[in-house]
Amino acid sequence: MKMQYHLLPFDFTRIADTEILVNEVGDMMVVPEGTIQRIIDRQMEKDDLYKSLVANFFISEELVPPLLDVYAARLREKKRFMDYFTALHIFVVTLQCNQNCVYCQASSRKEQSEHCTMSNEVMECSVELMFRSPAPVLTMEFQGGEPSLHPKLIRFGIEKAEEKRLSDGREVRYVLCTNCVNLTDEMLDICKQYHVMISTSLDGPAFLHNANRGKTDSYEKVIAGIEKARKALGNEQVSALMTTSVQGLNHPVEIVDEYAKLGFKSLFLRALNPYGLASDNPDWEDYTRKFIDFYKKAFEHILELNKQGVHFAEEFAIIILRKMLTPFSTGFVDLQSPAGIVNSVLVYNYDGYVYASDESRMLAEKGDYAFRLGSVFDRYEDVVYGNKVRDIAEIWANESLAGCSDCALKAYCGADPVRNYSTQGDMYGHRPSSLLCKKNKAIIEYIISLIVERKEEVVPIFKTWLL
Amino acid sequence: MKILIDRNIYSDECISKCVYSLSEVFQCNRQLDGNTESIELIPTNGFISDEDTKRLFLQKLNDFKLRQIVAEETKDIRTILYAKAFADYEDFNIEEAE
Repeated sequence: MKMQYHLLPFDFTRIADTEILVNEVGDMMVVPEGTIQRIIDRQMEKDDLYKSLVANFFISEELVPPLLDVYAARLREKKRFMDYFTALHIFVVTLQCNQNCVYCQASSRKEQSEHCTMSNEVMECSVELMFRSPAPVLTMEFQGGEPSLHPKLIRFGIEKAEEKRLSDGREVRYVLCTNCVNLTDEMLDICKQYHVMISTSLDGPAFLHNANRGKTDSYEKVIAGIEKARKALGNEQVSALMTTSVQGLNHPVEIVDEYAKLGFKSLFLRALNPYGLASDNPDWEDYTRKFIDFYKKAFEHILELNKQGVHFAEEFAIIILRKMLTPFSTGFVDLQSPAGIVNSVLVYNYDGYVYASDESRMLAEKGDYAFRLGSVFDRYEDVVYGNKVRDIAEIWANESLAGCSDCALKAYCGADPVRNYSTQGDMYGHRPSSLLCKKNKAIIEYIISLIVERKEEVVPIFKTWLL
Repeated sequence: MKILIDRNIYSDECISKCVYSLSEVFQCNRQLDGNTESIELIPTNGFISDEDTKRLFLQKLNDFKLRQIVAEETKDIRTILYAKAFADYEDFNIEEAE
């Protein structure tokens, strides 16, 4: 006999011989094969599974679930980042750089290059625009090139922001993205005075890092710079990011061990982006396949470290797990829907133009201005609510994109019109052939498969990462 | 290979979504004759046996049909859920919406 209940919206996928149900807020249930058909056919029995389906908003015994308000509040919380609007403001201070990275995504130029550094006037107008954003907490991030080559300009920018902050009352966080190769006392004094966080780049052990940087002594200089910064600012003020070069794909264990050895508590296993010099990589399909394999090997090693009592986390997995296992949204702009561009990040380029994201201005360095939103001298409204942003807004939510809207993993993933445009020629994109989709899907499915197949082993570790 | 699909069972939307999801794997030609749709699937890269092609296509097709049923049955409650979550006014009246 058919049971009487009502379906609630959910999607599903199949992983490790189970069915994975995901509801509108990203809550996940792992159920035996055939369950979806039974749910739809009203063939469920009133057992524990049935009660869990009701409790987790997959089915309802009433037409309108009695706790619909709670469910709606949770959905709102998952999209909380939309209330804040643009929180991350990237200032591309200069394109000048003192390194020569093989995969440079930022189209950096030699240290002596001219006409590629921000003027004080552009910096001041950029700060003005940043403060027009309604976000309660603003992050002012200095990037390059190598921004630490221009400490006076950074001090000028921070001082302008501090003036505004004092009258405005909002919190402003400062981040300096630097290769740490030549961190001067002048730069560190600024960091100390204004609590500037340092985000540096380290690709792994010396042989790998030096090969990626096109230098023989980069590793030693970076390590010395990290130590100097930690001494001056405290360990917690210094973080590092790695980028997986083609050579790095062969060294997952060595990269993890290097980060653990240096006392970092986590690592972001980050793939190359197809921008700047990296876009010259001849075979992205091959790279993507190898990166997925690299990620899994590195992740398994991280799990082993944790089992040995070393607290060490993987940052991409943390973002996915936070979306999966907690009621909260994340501030990670690459996995947001609506997309992180404009909604969560704006870029003020050295030349006075405003871009939708860091990747957008990287496209511009190759002569493509599709995501140039305006100038720092324009009105704020014309920049963030202009025709260009309206066009992008048509396709920046994965809930309404072909291939995404029916994907059970959309709650954990995001829309990326800039990546679609740069790799597939249009902002809408084609999911079945998208390598970004392939990579994200493979990693998210891998994390889910760990939860399904090795729950006792991995979930206690994941919980410590989410604390 | 060719697969015949009964359009009384699988809608155009359902078949279109299935074909889209497999568009990297197969080139697809569709032809409608009355209530039967003939779908020719040609692998775009390498060899896939007819048996595997049929299994892959039909499993995807059935999944899209299940999704379609869920989407149709939950369309209204989903609208109410999103309105409640994101509407600017606080006294949204659910009885009126029904």
